[in-house]
Amino acid sequence: MNTVSSPVPPAAAEPGHAPSYLQDGHGIKSWIMTLDHKRIGVLYLISILAAMFLGGLFAMLIRTELLTPAKTVMEAETYNRVFTLHGAIMIFLFIIPGIPAALGNFVLPLMLGARDVAFPRLNRLSWHLYVIGALFAVYSLIHGGADTGWTFYTPYSTTTTSAVVPITFGAFILGFSSILTGLNFIVTIHRFRPPGMGWFRMPLFLWALYATAIIQVLATPVLGITLLLLIVERVLGVGIFDPTLGGDPVLFQHFFWFYSHPAVYIMILPAMGVISELVSTFSRKHIFGYKAIAYSSVAIAFLSFLVWGHHMFVSGQSPMANMIFSALTFSVAIPSAVKVFNWVATMYKGSIKMDAPMTYTVAFILLFGIGGLTGLFLGALATDVHLHDTYFVVAHFHYTMMGGVLMAFMGGLHYWWPKIFGRMYNEKLANIASLMIVVGFNITFLSQFIMGSLGMPRRYYNYRPEFASYHQWSTAGAFLQAIGFILVAVYLIHSLRRGRLAPANPWGSATLEWRCASPPPTENFATQPTAGDPYDLKPLVFDPKLGGFTYRAESAEGVA
Amino acid sequence: MNSEDDRETRPVPSGMTRSEANTGRFGMAIFLISLSILFAASIIGYLVVRMRAQLWRTTNLPPLPSGLWLSTGILVACSVVIHYALVQTRRNNLGAARKFLLAASVLGTGFLVNQFVNWLALTAAQMPPTARNLYAFTFYMLTGLHAAHVIGGLVQLGVVTRRSFRGAYTAQYHPGITYAAMYWHFLDAVWVVMFLVMIVQN
Ligand code: HEM
Ligand SMILES: [Cu+2]
Repeated sequence: MNTVSSPVPPAAAEPGHAPSYLQDGHGIKSWIMTLDHKRIGVLYLISILAAMFLGGLFAMLIRTELLTPAKTVMEAETYNRVFTLHGAIMIFLFIIPGIPAALGNFVLPLMLGARDVAFPRLNRLSWHLYVIGALFAVYSLIHGGADTGWTFYTPYSTTTTSAVVPITFGAFILGFSSILTGLNFIVTIHRFRPPGMGWFRMPLFLWALYATAIIQVLATPVLGITLLLLIVERVLGVGIFDPTLGGDPVLFQHFFWFYSHPAVYIMILPAMGVISELVSTFSRKHIFGYKAIAYSSVAIAFLSFLVWGHHMFVSGQSPMANMIFSALTFSVAIPSAVKVFNWVATMYKGSIKMDAPMTYTVAFILLFGIGGLTGLFLGALATDVHLHDTYFVVAHFHYTMMGGVLMAFMGGLHYWWPKIFGRMYNEKLANIASLMIVVGFNITFLSQFIMGSLGMPRRYYNYRPEFASYHQWSTAGAFLQAIGFILVAVYLIHSLRRGRLAPANPWGSATLEWRCASPPPTENFATQPTAGDPYDLKPLVFDPKLGGFTYRAESAEGVA
Repeated sequence: MNSEDDRETRPVPSGMTRSEANTGRFGMAIFLISLSILFAASIIGYLVVRMRAQLWRTTNLPPLPSGLWLSTGILVACSVVIHYALVQTRRNNLGAARKFLLAASVLGTGFLVNQFVNWLALTAAQMPPTARNLYAFTFYMLTGLHAAHVIGGLVQLGVVTRRSFRGAYTAQYHPGITYAAMYWHFLDAVWVVMFLVMIVQN
């Protein structure tokens, strides 16, 4: 048997043989000052999960308050702060950095067969900036929080007495963190691809991270200047958004959405990348339409810069601008649909295995489909005038961000969990929890589509009694989801100590990160691996002795 | 130029052929692209505000200070000098390179000082940063944003200059000088565009 040319390094066969990155150095300092992309990924993971927990608590407070049409548990002023903090924390601290900074940092160099990212110091700086930005958000929270909504629209944000400056300054710093991560990823992907990995042999997750990084680098500076102008206007009392000086508050909206629309693709593109990996692995099939998926990521990144005006259809911008933005918005649906088509085609006639990552993948495809299609109702001028600032918009972006990005994040988290921590989670509990989350999610937000289309405005504290039953359904769904997430936390934490030791390749994927041990040694790979087709799953066979997949020996030369 | 330096290479797998310097320059280029978006957005914002504003420079406010021309001259000179620092380093004239770096540091500081002088002159002429006027606000905003980046550049240039006096760089290995040169050329270009826009618009 030809074992010499086997692409599997010896350490991979026996997990735990070489000291893993988790054992390489102990104590707080060895973590927070680390330069290892894997440790930085784990630090990011812990931080963003903390942010998600905090944002989730605020979400539950919102849903509890809305249980009854009048006051339930808090004052109106508190409610305004709670939904602002929920939105700002979830967007700036969880959804935007979630997949790229946490999962991406861990996985990207491994997928390239590389030792680390191009600039490990910048990578660490990026995490430190993230923490500093988060501390500013916490500082704002302690001082009562902001009450502007996560969009910080002027002139309210420049006149309210709530703690706007610390939280916007926090978001400003988080922007730097995001740019540094993007910069690192672009350079790493350009420079560190291993032998055998041309651009079109790259795993699609890397394409997605690459497209994301381009948006991060090109759009985030605009958020920076916008928030800076807002802060200066608040501090000095003069600025370009002040109409009494001849300034224009709508200019803020242009600036803000010029970043924040591309930002929704900073969120969704990495999610799509995760899904492209999972759908192939768990259908045990080569990905369908590789190039179409890769190019559509780039197309989405490009188009994302041209549609910001669809958030401003009723802001008084010219009818001509409205029509152009509407048409361009529709065109974004094309590359999105290309991806959905290819994922479904990948699943077609595959031998689908509904492990937790795949449950989340299927949920993603369905929920993102609903989210994207309802975006078209919002992109059409006639309907948006009615639907703007109603719960329909809230439901739309929760279907895309939570049904889309969060589901992909959960899928990716379960998929790479064995690689990150070297332990398997409890598959049965994971399936139950994913079901609770997906069902709870739909109960929460389907009802919001309905009440939104019936005219229930977003952000309202009191509401007319005829909306009460929708709100109650929505709250019930939210509690179901919360229980699901708690269950996830329980079995994941439990797995850290008690989980079955993970094999190097538990799912049978062909991308390079599964060729090093679980968890990987600090050096990642003993020898430089050679990349083959990242979706050629045929040579991988399940080995019951390992509890995972391994390369069929006679086919090894096909891979090397 | 020798791109394959055999100095201790970064910890990447053995198959890697590109040198550290190349990767660093690429990273710096991306960083500058990102920064140029920041300045482009600011300048576009300036133009939009300028076009829409009903009130611009009211008669009680001074015109743009002529000291801005001096600033421009200093910054262009700085950019030229730092270019020679790089050229001399590559030619292994390390002594000359050091002098050029020192001169660039002085010129960069001079630019910043001159900007301060300009601001003070405007403040003295009844146009402080808090003047309730968009002409005043946008001027301080643009020049302030640029000055903030000059400060960052000076810190890096200072470190690089000090290191060069300690003999840290060679003709083959001088990433710090390369980055400084790229960054200051960028600051120079941004300033020239910014300055021209302000002149044309006033
Ligand atoms: C596939 C095509 C999509 C289309 C056509 C679309 C269209 C729209 C439109 C027209 C609006 C403005 C509605 C209004 O305020 O009246 C909107 C809002 C929004 N969309 Fe989408 N969208 C799409 C995908 C996404 C994705 C993938 C995400 C996030 C991952 C997303 C996140 C958001 C958010 C956060 C808002 C509301 C922001 C706010 O006002 O607070 N959308 N979308
Ligand atoms: Cu949008």
